[in-house]
Amino acid sequence: MPREIDPAISQRAFVLSALKDHRLRVDGRGMQEARTPELIFGDEMGWVECRFGKTRVIAQVSGTIVRPRADRPYEGLLNIHSEISPMASSVYDSGRPSEEEVVITRMLEKVLKKSDALDRESLCIVAGQQVWSIRLTLHFLSDEGNMLDCACLAGVAALKHFRRPEVEVIGEEVIIHDPSERAPMPLSMHHTPICVSLAFFEESAHPILDPTRLETQLASSILAISVTNTASPSPTLCVLQLAGGMPLSTEELTSCIGMAVARARVVGAFLERRLADDWSQRSVRVEVH
Amino acid sequence: MNRPELLSSYNYRSDGRRPTEMRSLSLLLSQHPQADGSATVTHGLTEVMVTVFGPRESKNKAGLAHDRAVLSVTLDVPVFSGVPGGRRGRSDKRNMEFTSNIKNTFEPVIQTHLHPRSQIDINIQILQADGSLLQAAVNATTLALIDAGVPMSDYVCATTCALHDSTPLLDLNSLEENDLPNLTVAVLPRSNKVTLVTLETQLAVERFEEMLKMAVEAGKLVHREMLRAVQNRSEKLMRAIESVGGGVGGRPDHRQGEERDVEMYAGNDL
Amino acid sequence: MFTIVSPAPRGDDLEYTTTRHHPSVKDEIDMDIEEQGGEFGEGPSRLASPGETITSAQAFMRGHGTYVENEDLVSALTGTIERVNKLVSVRALKSRYNPEVGDLVVGRITEVGPRRWKVDANARQDAVLMLSSINLPGGVQRRKLESDELQMRNFFEEGDLLVAEVQAFFADGAMSLHTRSLKYGKLRNGHLVMVPPALVRRLKSHFYALPCGVDLILGLNGYIWVSKHVKQSEQEGEEGFDAEAVYSNKNDDIDVATRTAIARVSNIIRALARHSTPLTDVLLVEAYDWAIDQDISVKDLSAEETSEAMVAAITFRA
Repeated sequence: MPREIDPAISQRAFVLSALKDHRLRVDGRGMQEARTPELIFGDEMGWVECRFGKTRVIAQVSGTIVRPRADRPYEGLLNIHSEISPMASSVYDSGRPSEEEVVITRMLEKVLKKSDALDRESLCIVAGQQVWSIRLTLHFLSDEGNMLDCACLAGVAALKHFRRPEVEVIGEEVIIHDPSERAPMPLSMHHTPICVSLAFFEESAHPILDPTRLETQLASSILAISVTNTASPSPTLCVLQLAGGMPLSTEELTSCIGMAVARARVVGAFLERRLADDWSQRSVRVEVH
Repeated sequence: MNRPELLSSYNYRSDGRRPTEMRSLSLLLSQHPQADGSATVTHGLTEVMVTVFGPRESKNKAGLAHDRAVLSVTLDVPVFSGVPGGRRGRSDKRNMEFTSNIKNTFEPVIQTHLHPRSQIDINIQILQADGSLLQAAVNATTLALIDAGVPMSDYVCATTCALHDSTPLLDLNSLEENDLPNLTVAVLPRSNKVTLVTLETQLAVERFEEMLKMAVEAGKLVHREMLRAVQNRSEKLMRAIESVGGGVGGRPDHRQGEERDVEMYAGNDL
Repeated sequence: MFTIVSPAPRGDDLEYTTTRHHPSVKDEIDMDIEEQGGEFGEGPSRLASPGETITSAQAFMRGHGTYVENEDLVSALTGTIERVNKLVSVRALKSRYNPEVGDLVVGRITEVGPRRWKVDANARQDAVLMLSSINLPGGVQRRKLESDELQMRNFFEEGDLLVAEVQAFFADGAMSLHTRSLKYGKLRNGHLVMVPPALVRRLKSHFYALPCGVDLILGLNGYIWVSKHVKQSEQEGEEGFDAEAVYSNKNDDIDVATRTAIARVSNIIRALARHSTPLTDVLLVEAYDWAIDQDISVKDLSAEETSEAMVAAITFRA
């Protein structure tokens, strides 16, 4: 496993002192200012590229029909495949996953799968016989910090963007309608989780939002918070993860959550807007056809 | 399906506890003959053993750091422990997440800069699983490190808390852990700050603070039990060491591992 | 707000409330230890635990095992508090070996490197034995040459045991050893027993010849070498001393009686260590005599009840 080379000592001192004494970040952003996300939708439904500055993640959703698990005959399946290849950054190895990578993929699994974001019961076609198996593949194209938030946004956007063919059950027979015959259906989602990461630095009481790669390397700890129901007046916490680094008091943690909720609201609204934009363009095309 | 009632209308939990009642806790130290430090922690039916080796010469030359000790954490989940899903390999993602949580939690607490170029091995063995594994592992690791004489800035005390409708429950068994939004918190009792927080499944933002406060409060209780266990073990050890006293064979009394300057001071004085 | 019901602790574990003071420390710890707010406290205790405030950092100096936080001097270890004038330190009751210059250690070669050996001595890093810090066979006094560098394995190779003295420390805290005395060097004709380092105290001498025909080297790092007795006339510098045998790997002939004695001493040491009893030659001789008196076979010494009886008997006598 190639080891990441720590940033040079003087660079480290420079970045940290700027943060601590002047509350300035090296890329000129404010402490609680995130990079503007970009969402690019592909021609196919369920293909989304998400960019946070130079961090890029592609998410793709596809569906197949399979037999359900014996212990859960009424539920469809959601599989998340993600591997951080050396393409994202030279520190990632294609073989055994690194610790950092595992943390990201486990977090994604908790946010998207364990929190029941996708209504898995709606994926059932014939109980115990046929269900939809949804596969979400995440490609990490480049790592310029905060891949988790980027991947989470890409994944959620792709799930919401994806349309599966309509299926009809007549007696014993299952008919799958081609998208050209009948308009395909969106996946039914319980909620839309948005991930927000905050980085903490030694001796600096102020966390920063959306850390870059350099900031991630220098951070003493990363607090990852995922918030859902961002549009409602009382949003819900979905997953929260903090391990080690600078210890926080309960008040500090609560204020961080407030910060994350505010940010998640902005991102959530942005996601809905972009999805609506994209859909409206596509509807026009359908009419022409 | 007949799902067990997690909290009855009389405010009793599935195993007969009150909402804020913790399971019986037992803390055993220095059980392992070979390890530099070891501890077995039981929270009800969850039992975890941790052994600590080191700080010692690093076996992995590539991984060592010139200015501090590095931690290496391994987790073993045997089939008999009752963790669902059978045996997990070393590269299992859940295992790696677990060990990375432990490692990140303890790295800032252990004064690693005192032992450059060495390695501290923490081996976690789940003996029996009934929920709150991370809690038990953190508590056992703290005690094992203390037993090994590794310098740390504070104890790390972990607790779990869940929310049933609007009632917070402490110290979860596996039934509760699977079905309720739950929180694992590790507290540093000296500053009352939290160093590890993991939350799973959905929870209203307003509820979070209440649960966190309760978990921190419960952490203090765990801390008290830990102090008691450590104190007890230290007294026993000291009694054994003093049992032969200084006077054997008329040799001068040197307390074990005496530092030179102290020795001289004591010598002049007596 | 809410109640936390704590389970009752196990009954027999509750005997911690009385703190006994070692006579020689009583005076030293006579300092104002801050009262712990209710939690820890029935008055000042000489045991500290991580995160526990010992005293104010302004009046005292920070020693080993402590750190300073917000003008408080805080313990980082579980162990005894010690004070020398203004210096306050905490020493762990049980830890790896803490080397000091002049200590006698028994170690094992783990690696042969350029002009140096790496030695495992139960410390936090492997110790270093430089080629220049060993004696040449026959006590020849000369600079080490390139030819010596090429045949380092003739002196010590991986797995060899040796007794040495701590000479100095490197900047990173690793210790440097030397064997430049006739007493030090390669070990043979015996058996290694490992005990926690805390159980070996600093004594006037660490080489003992027990009356049962067994030699003992008590390494301060907790490694103890139990071997066949070397007769005075065959010791180094004497007539019958074989200079070439210093770096020999071959054991001498050892008769059955000596072998039994070595095994018995080893088992006694292990049994005492299991009961955290500090080791001295006098104690070992007493234990040996006790074992002979009671007619206990060598293998029975490892049994739990026998070792308990032994520890009780000899500590009572002491």
